[in-house]
Amino acid sequence: MNPAVEIQKPSLLKFWGSRVISAIAAIAFCAGIQSLGGPLADNEFLYRIIVLSGLYVTLAVSLNLINGITGQFSIGHAAFYQVGAYTAGYLTVRMFSTQQIGEVPWLILMCLVGAAAAAITGLIVGLPSLRLKGDYLAIVTLGFGEIIRIIAINIDEVGGAYGLSIVPKIQSPWLIWALAILCIAVCRNLLKTAHGLPFLAVREDEVASSAMGVSTTKIKVTAFVIGSSFAGAAGALLAHYEAFITPDMFKMEVSFIVLTMVVIGGTGSITGSTVAALALFLLPEWLRGLKEANGDALVVSAPQLLGATLAIIAYIALARRVRDHYHGKPIQKAGFQFGVAAASLVLFFLFKAVFAQIGGLAGHEGWEINSLRMAIFAAVLIVIMLLRPQGVFGHHEFSWAWLKSLFVKKKQEAS
Amino acid sequence: MIDLVTSGALAGLSLDPSTLPQQLVNGLLIGAIYALIALGYTMVYGVLRLINFAHGEVFMLGAYAALFVSYGFGYTADAGDIAGGTWTLLAIMLLVSMISCAIVGAVIEFFAYRPMRNQTRIAALITAIGVSLLIQYGGQLFLPAQPPPSISEKVLPADIRGSYDFNLISPDPQLESDLAAAKTAADAADSELEKMLTDTGQREFDLEPEHPLRAAKFETIGEVRSLSAEIENSSVSVTVPRGQAVMFGTVVLLMTLLWWLVMHTRTGRAMRAASHDFDSASLMGINVNRVVTITFIIGSALAGAGAMMNATFLRTPLTPFFGFMPGVKAFVAAVLGGIGNIPGAVLGGFVMGLAETLVVWAGYGQYKDAVAFVILIVILLFRPGGLLGSSKVEKV
Repeated sequence: MNPAVEIQKPSLLKFWGSRVISAIAAIAFCAGIQSLGGPLADNEFLYRIIVLSGLYVTLAVSLNLINGITGQFSIGHAAFYQVGAYTAGYLTVRMFSTQQIGEVPWLILMCLVGAAAAAITGLIVGLPSLRLKGDYLAIVTLGFGEIIRIIAINIDEVGGAYGLSIVPKIQSPWLIWALAILCIAVCRNLLKTAHGLPFLAVREDEVASSAMGVSTTKIKVTAFVIGSSFAGAAGALLAHYEAFITPDMFKMEVSFIVLTMVVIGGTGSITGSTVAALALFLLPEWLRGLKEANGDALVVSAPQLLGATLAIIAYIALARRVRDHYHGKPIQKAGFQFGVAAASLVLFFLFKAVFAQIGGLAGHEGWEINSLRMAIFAAVLIVIMLLRPQGVFGHHEFSWAWLKSLFVKKKQEAS
Repeated sequence: MIDLVTSGALAGLSLDPSTLPQQLVNGLLIGAIYALIALGYTMVYGVLRLINFAHGEVFMLGAYAALFVSYGFGYTADAGDIAGGTWTLLAIMLLVSMISCAIVGAVIEFFAYRPMRNQTRIAALITAIGVSLLIQYGGQLFLPAQPPPSISEKVLPADIRGSYDFNLISPDPQLESDLAAAKTAADAADSELEKMLTDTGQREFDLEPEHPLRAAKFETIGEVRSLSAEIENSSVSVTVPRGQAVMFGTVVLLMTLLWWLVMHTRTGRAMRAASHDFDSASLMGINVNRVVTITFIIGSALAGAGAMMNATFLRTPLTPFFGFMPGVKAFVAAVLGGIGNIPGAVLGGFVMGLAETLVVWAGYGQYKDAVAFVILIVILLFRPGGLLGSSKVEKV
């Protein structure tokens, strides 16, 4: 049933060919990210966002391994991120000047150190997971995250609440994306091989899988260790990219946002986590930069906001009705959904026009888009969850075969 | 509730047994509020198996509702000389806060949680996080937050201003008479200095520190200070602001009401049935949708009562984000006591409040927010189902 479980036996040429092509594509992608720095030199903000989104991809995909693939409800991923960042940052501050190593090899070394430190933390957090299930595990991982943050606030060696500034600043955009690709590759290969089957088994039914001879303890702890080590490496890269870290960068909200990326993308789907991480990281940043035609920050007026709220509520209600009660062909259903979206857009303009007639509302000076962006982010979460609770991708992955079948089918329908 | 603890931090920089009773009382007072919020978490979890992350935000809205009522009666921050409030005003604030929270809770349940009921629990959780973020950041657009407003202390009626003082161990009478003697000596020295100053037309700060009269004054004042400190250390007293005593009484009353409602009414029986087995309860003719709505209404109303009392009697400054931390702590309290278990939530709330103040008392105030989680982890390692909860052994 799950496409991830399908095991195929390709020919040797196809097997190695696809791997070599993937590796070349990955290297080309990283080189592309690195060389984007040239053309985007005058738009530092955009380049920064593109680079940092790689970190969120790593975080989301690695949390997906724990949450989505192994089914362990962990909501404290920021803790591992923080452990990696602080360990690597502290070591760089103390030791980099005494070593005769180039910057990039040192950064790679620090990634490994951060990953190891986070993996040890993951082991410590993973151990209670042997006894706890579901929400109890969730609250314990959340608690670990807070404890680690508060400990960092109280250690003066690492800057306490003020933060730790890291000298030298080593910015390596390609490495950030290389880590993201490595994380995706590890999770994807784990799922595609027999090593991944016990992870899925533990997610589907723990009792049954232990009866089939799966060591559930070992699997859960392995998932925690792998997931947290990637988060730790991401933390190390963040510390060196920003050159300044504070405990506030690793608050509970960060864990929540990463968890949201996993669930919105579809628990268990690596493609989903990647796409959702990019989308949800870029959305607030994109909103922040929105401008009016004259270059001022975009202002949303009160009638617009009220109209949009009502139109969204109407859209959710209508779209859910179509989803649950309309049993036509998929293409017709999609058409209906499209119609509902269009109707909601019309409703929005209608509501806006009506509210604009009310003096008190029209006179309101409105809100800058910047103050609205987190509210919009939250609204997007709710809308996606209400309309597609299984996440955008569900359990599915992107695959070339699926893409091909889409086009082949279309051709058949056309003929 | 945050302020109460930080002000305690100054008093307890070391393990001082004479301040312990006061800290225990403070812990109970904070714990009562935690318990009240934790009840909402635990009831919703008991019926729906849903962590209602938006509960802290309902709490926040309740505090704002109370604030607006007090504004409506003229108790704004810049109100000049205004007569003290009445019990009626407090009752109105409490009721408005409870009712508006109940409405908000029911609305959230209907629009956000009901459509998610048959979905995976993690999807429902993300919806809850979304609602929580939406209320926080949406509230930022509409609610006054800069500077953080707090309810004027003038809303308290005259008869619950001040505080109750209890002397557990009276100070040594010898010390007290010494103190009285030292005070007269200090007054005498002071008046002598004053007299000299008026006679010579000098100001006190023009004198050199070694001036005999000035030195005498400082010596006697030092004596008074050291004696009063000694009396403070040898005696043990507890001070409870009257408003907070009223708050504690109200919390106990509300909990008793809840207990009666759950254990002795038809609705309560339906709630217990639904939390025991949701599907079977619906097969037995219980209108589970109604039960869920009522659960949200009761839980949110309790949070509203807690919010109003927190804002009025502990005078926490309000921001759209101030519900988050008490919400998380109350959730920890609910898990600590065994989530889904009503007495467990109350016990967990008090344990959390006491643990927090004791950590502050021991001089580790900076770890105040972490101790909740440390206790939680330790207890869950030994009792995976919480203090009063039972962990079910999974069978095939």
